[in-house]
Amino acid sequence: MKASLTRIGAVTNKEFKHLLRDVRTLAAVVLLPVIQLLLFAYAISFDVDNVPTMVIDYDKTPASSEYVRAYDASSFFKVVAHGDTLNQVDTAFDANTARVAVVIPAGFGETIAAGDKAQVAVLIDGSEPNSAKISQAYSVALNQLYDQSMTKSWAASQGLDLSGIGALEPRVRTWYNPERNSTIFLIPGLMAVIIAIVTVQQTAVTLVRERALGTEEQLLVSPMRRTELMVGKLLPWTLIAFIDVVMVILLGMAVFGVPLRGTPLVLALGSALFVFASLGMGLLISAVAPSAETANIMALMIAFLPSFLLSGLAFPLDQIPVVLQWFSGIFPARYMVTISRGVFLKGSGFAELWPELLTLAGYALVMVLVAARLYGRKARA
Amino acid sequence: MQSTSPGTSAISARGLHKSFGTTEAVIDLDLDVATGAVYGLLGPDGAGKSTLIRMIATVLTPDAGAAEVFGHSVTDQRGKVTPRIGYMSQRFSMYPDLSVAENLEFFATVRGVSRADRNSRAKSLLESMGLAEFANRQAQHLSGGMKQKLMLASTLMHSPDLLLLDEPTTGVDPVSRREFWRILAGLHREGRTVLVATPYMDEAERCTHIAFLDRGRIRQSGTPEQIKAQVPGRLLEVASAEPRRTLAAVVALPGVDSAHLFGDLVRVLWTGAADPIEALTAGLGGTDASLTVRTANIDMETVFAYLAENAPADAAAVSS
Amino acid sequence: MSGKRIRLLIWKEFTQLKRDPMLVRLLLLMPVIQLVMFGYVVAADIRHLSTAVVDLDHSVASRALTDQFASSGYFTINARPTSEDDLRPLLDRGQIQVAVVIPAGTQDHLDRGETAQIGIIVDGSDSQVSAVGSGYASQIISRYNRQVMTDAGVSVAAPGVDAQIRVMFNPTLDPINTMIPGLIAAIMMISLMAIMSQAVVKERESGTLEQMFVTPIRASEYLIGKLTPYAGLATLQMLIVAAVGILWFRVPFNGQLGVVLVGLALFMLTCIGLGLLVSLVSHTRQQAQQAMMFIMLPTMVLSGFIFPIASMPPLIQPLTNLIPLTFALEVLRGAFVKGSGFAALAPQLLILAGFAAVIFTASIIATRRRIAE
Repeated sequence: MKASLTRIGAVTNKEFKHLLRDVRTLAAVVLLPVIQLLLFAYAISFDVDNVPTMVIDYDKTPASSEYVRAYDASSFFKVVAHGDTLNQVDTAFDANTARVAVVIPAGFGETIAAGDKAQVAVLIDGSEPNSAKISQAYSVALNQLYDQSMTKSWAASQGLDLSGIGALEPRVRTWYNPERNSTIFLIPGLMAVIIAIVTVQQTAVTLVRERALGTEEQLLVSPMRRTELMVGKLLPWTLIAFIDVVMVILLGMAVFGVPLRGTPLVLALGSALFVFASLGMGLLISAVAPSAETANIMALMIAFLPSFLLSGLAFPLDQIPVVLQWFSGIFPARYMVTISRGVFLKGSGFAELWPELLTLAGYALVMVLVAARLYGRKARA
Repeated sequence: MQSTSPGTSAISARGLHKSFGTTEAVIDLDLDVATGAVYGLLGPDGAGKSTLIRMIATVLTPDAGAAEVFGHSVTDQRGKVTPRIGYMSQRFSMYPDLSVAENLEFFATVRGVSRADRNSRAKSLLESMGLAEFANRQAQHLSGGMKQKLMLASTLMHSPDLLLLDEPTTGVDPVSRREFWRILAGLHREGRTVLVATPYMDEAERCTHIAFLDRGRIRQSGTPEQIKAQVPGRLLEVASAEPRRTLAAVVALPGVDSAHLFGDLVRVLWTGAADPIEALTAGLGGTDASLTVRTANIDMETVFAYLAENAPADAAAVSS
Repeated sequence: MSGKRIRLLIWKEFTQLKRDPMLVRLLLLMPVIQLVMFGYVVAADIRHLSTAVVDLDHSVASRALTDQFASSGYFTINARPTSEDDLRPLLDRGQIQVAVVIPAGTQDHLDRGETAQIGIIVDGSDSQVSAVGSGYASQIISRYNRQVMTDAGVSVAAPGVDAQIRVMFNPTLDPINTMIPGLIAAIMMISLMAIMSQAVVKERESGTLEQMFVTPIRASEYLIGKLTPYAGLATLQMLIVAAVGILWFRVPFNGQLGVVLVGLALFMLTCIGLGLLVSLVSHTRQQAQQAMMFIMLPTMVLSGFIFPIASMPPLIQPLTNLIPLTFALEVLRGAFVKGSGFAALAPQLLILAGFAAVIFTASIIATRRRIAE
């Protein structure tokens, strides 16, 4: 046992030396994730407001103007243009200068004065479903509200007693993220994704390099066990990635106001396991890749898109086919995103997140063992 | 170093076979190396020397056959074999961005050498190999000869009984080569066993035993004297003004078995009955005033060339 | 430029490619697999939100409201806890994303003509769910109110506004239609850049690059020779991936095929060129890899593929114009969803062509510098 630890220590020591003598890689691994996270956290959000809106008013009566004012008053819509013909809507949509168009037909005012329901067309550019969906919801809400308030004032002017008619009023409470700030929602996930991508890259080549350097044979004639080699190689990277995580957490909290409501220990443990698991995945790629070049390519393709798309960062995972849900379980990023969000926003602790922690631990274990097994087999071919 | 008594077997291999795809690198090979020997593996590129050494070093798994090192199987008892061997590969196998001292430290630690031993041995090895002043230089910045010495030092750190060296002096300058063999001689005196692959024929002279490998098989093996005895005739050296023309002329003479260029000399193997010096001088004769003929000791180069040309494709070994 | 030398280089690249089956598999097979997998993910719509209803009123009204939620298609009622406190663990564990709380006395309020408050709780840790979920919930309650008014006979006589809200180009607002084209571009980009970035570095490390440059081969010839086989493979990949994407997911196609192909081809050239450029200026594979990542992460995040550009801060938006993928997405989404033609998309296509031109010029300069070294 002592001999084993000595050997692991020797490998860790060596890997640290390699790392410290390669300033570029060091910078890339330590600084880059942090810089990129800051940039992206600032840049991205799912929040939609100030949607550029074009108004085409064929009626031009006080009634239609009042209707248009409702849009002006809303913080969601931003009236940017007043058009004269319908063609201009096409142009505006094509050029993306407007996403919503409100078309008020001639006779709008007359119809209302006659006591009927006047028709209005609201056109929404559907080519960006995210904002379109929300625009749609807001349009419906705005028009329903306008309609109801018209009804009420009419009833009042008629002297009608509306006392017998009740109404329901929704009171919306947003838990965990009351300001509906999507940045807060995104940062915990983004952190996991960036680290996943960076760590898998680094270890993907580490074993292949031993073979390329020729030192692998020397290790083969020594008492060094394959698992010891793997663990020794992973430890320095784990430490570095962990430093990354800590920096990201601190910056996220200080700069973006991401709250930390849950148990920090869970986050720390989860991060360590996650890093180990991601590195393990890189190690596995390294063990099976025939060359450094292929290792690099595989790492890039395996780490990248799945981290973004299958981790739950930006796309919800509960609506996709079950088979895919299982498949997404292969990528450690998914569990880390859950843990991350849970601890930051939901105030979760061990009680809620133990399944994810356990999965990450098992994952790391399996990756390292499988990598060790595959590595040895190839080496002595 | 563990106690080993001369007369026991360091390496004993039977029927080793290894193919890479369709290429058969080592074919049905037997090998015996006694403890304390300096055993040279000679042969051209692609003969199978590296493959053989790597199989014995447990770095490569044979397709068929078995080998034992100090009585332990290289395939099934790897754990008992590796502590007693030191393996030096053909390509540079140290970490380029670590220093000489750091490389030694790393591999010795991995080998389980205690800290005290590491320090003392590193010190003495570096000194005896002339690397002491380069202890802090990164391995990638060493010259070819120093790199080889570094690798040798590394294999010695854990004091192995058997050294497996794969072309340790290839690409190294002659002065370093001589130094290297001086070190090997010292190891021999300490009682260690050495199996060394080399393409340099002159190095074969310094071995206690040699074997020729060609296309995956051992063609000849034995002590240098035994091997040389295989070659009939005598060796002569002809110095002349135009060696190429002399070569062409000499080969045509009766009594000449074979001849080849050696620098600007022509070496001639004489199997004829007459006195070679007279016969050659007469045969080449006349116009060249600088022509001299003298006898020379049969060297390995000639032996090998002769055997390669004359031996049929069998591996009848003259055992020692 | 010598046609013969170029042909020779192309032959050499093809031979090397043939001996590396893994590469061809990575280039052709993996993208298709990824497309199918990720297609499902990006196409998933926010619907069937897991919902809990806490009905403290047990009245006709509360049951009617609950039914409206259940039959809307947006909400799937998975839990009916008896108290609000029970909601906490459900939301904490993520088993429930939306909760409707109908307080006791709701029916009474309605009968008396007063306003009754209905509690809607959404899981804010998922911003899309919370935005859309609360929107749907509000709509359902609004509809309920209208029904109440209609039943009371009021709305029929009253003036009002009847808004016809129509979504153009993507009436179902099915994310498939915009995300799949985007996914096609993203997958192509990653695989091509990954492979190209290693293409030249490999030669530099093995020393054959030096060998090449002591021959009469010129920089432009070298580049063309290097590129052609990969461009060929990339074209093949593009056709396969696009075909699979469109057919498998049944992405509706309103536009001109020519526009899509031209746009993808130009984009493909920029990807290959960028990968090549990275490969040329990197000294080791490690460096190439790092440079690749440095380029790709911002590309994924800032191009508008996942996160809408319209939602980005004004300072960042100009930056998105530095990314080729941004324009490729505009071309693809425009062609697929809006049916835009060459005329409408000319600016984007020209910009893509411009990117390609700049990148290749830089590549030639970089190659010449290598030769000079």
